[in-house]
Amino acid sequence: MTAARTASAAAAVLTAVMLTGCGPKTVATTPRPPSGDLVVLLPDQGSGAVGRVTVSNPAGSVTLDGARLATEIPSSGGPPAAPTVMDEAEVRRIFGEALSALPPPASLFTLYFEFESNQLTTESRKLLPEILALVVKARPAPEVIVIGHTDTTGSAPTNLALGLKRAQTVKQLLVETGIEADLVEVTSHGEGDPLVQTPDNTPEPKNRRVDIAVR
Amino acid sequence: MFARYFISLAVVLAVGAASTAEAQEQPIAGRVKVASGDAYILRAGSQIPAKVGEPVFQADSLRTGTDGRLGVTMKDDTRVSLGPSSEVRLEQFAYAPTEGRLGFAMRVVRGLAAYVSGRIAKLAPDAVRLETPASIVGVRGTSLALRAGGE
Repeated sequence: MTAARTASAAAAVLTAVMLTGCGPKTVATTPRPPSGDLVVLLPDQGSGAVGRVTVSNPAGSVTLDGARLATEIPSSGGPPAAPTVMDEAEVRRIFGEALSALPPPASLFTLYFEFESNQLTTESRKLLPEILALVVKARPAPEVIVIGHTDTTGSAPTNLALGLKRAQTVKQLLVETGIEADLVEVTSHGEGDPLVQTPDNTPEPKNRRVDIAVR
Repeated sequence: MFARYFISLAVVLAVGAASTAEAQEQPIAGRVKVASGDAYILRAGSQIPAKVGEPVFQADSLRTGTDGRLGVTMKDDTRVSLGPSSEVRLEQFAYAPTEGRLGFAMRVVRGLAAYVSGRIAKLAPDAVRLETPASIVGVRGTSLALRAGGE
C-alpha cells in the first residue's frame, strides 16, 4: 500500500521531469536524413525501470533494452537501424504532446481480511476513506476495479465464491462512503492469484485480500 | 426416439448459438481519460467524438486532428496516448485472465503515440504486439514512444 503510493508519487514527479523544463528550443544544426518510423524505449514512470522491446521487419531485428534507446525503421523496407540513445530534449521535442496525453497510472490498494470471512481487518477498513478521496479527487472518468482473493484453505470453487463475497463487501463499503455503485466493478480470482505462493490448504493472511485499482 | 433426440439436440444447439451471439457482444476494452482538440474514435465507419469517459472497443481506431491529443486507459491498465495528427488502431484486445485469454495488438497508422504496458504484458508478454507501418514491436514491459513515418 505505502509502496504503491510512493510509486505513483514518483511517477508524477518523473512525468513532470520528462515533460517540463526543456528550456529554449534547440536549433537544428545538421539536417536530419529522411527518416522512417521511430521507436524509443522509455524508463518506466513509476520505478524508473527499463523494459525491453524487439523491433523487427522482414529485413532485420534490433533489441532496445536501455533508457531512451531508439531505432529508426526506414520506410524503404530496410532493416531497423542500430539503436542509439536519444537525449531527453529530443524525446520531448518529438513525443512531448503524445506523452502529455498519457492518463495517470492506476492507484492500487490492497485490503486484508480475517480468516475464512468477509470481515476486513481493522487497519484495512481505515483505508476506505482514502480510496474515496482518490476517486473523487479529479480523476477523469474514474473507474474502480475490486478483485477478491483467498488463501488456499478450502476448495477452489468455495474460494472463488469467497473471493467474490469479499469483493462485494468492499464494493458495498465503498458505496456507503459515497462512491457511485456504477463506477465499481467486482470480480474474484479465488485462490488462483496468491500474493504469497503456498501449498494447498495453507492459511496465509497476505492472500486473504481484495485488490482495488482506481483508474 | 432418435428423431426426438435430434430435435432436442437441435434446440440445444440453437439456444447455444443464440447465447454465443449474445456473448460476442463486445466487452469494453478501455475508456478515454484525456482528450483535447479534435479527437475521435472511428468505429464501423462512423466518427465518434472522443470525450472523456467514452468507451473504447477492440477494432476501434483513435484519431486526432492537428490540435488534438487523446489518452486511453485499457481494462488491464495498459495506457495509450496520441499526439496531434495521429491515428492508432486497436487491432486486438482480450483480457480474461481466468479464462486464459490475453492479447493486445495495436497499430500506429500515422503520427505519434505512447504506450505503457499493463497486466496483459505482465501475464503474457508474447501476447502483446505493436506495429508501425514498417515494423513489428514485441514488448517486454514498460514504456515506449512510437512514430509512424518521418517528421
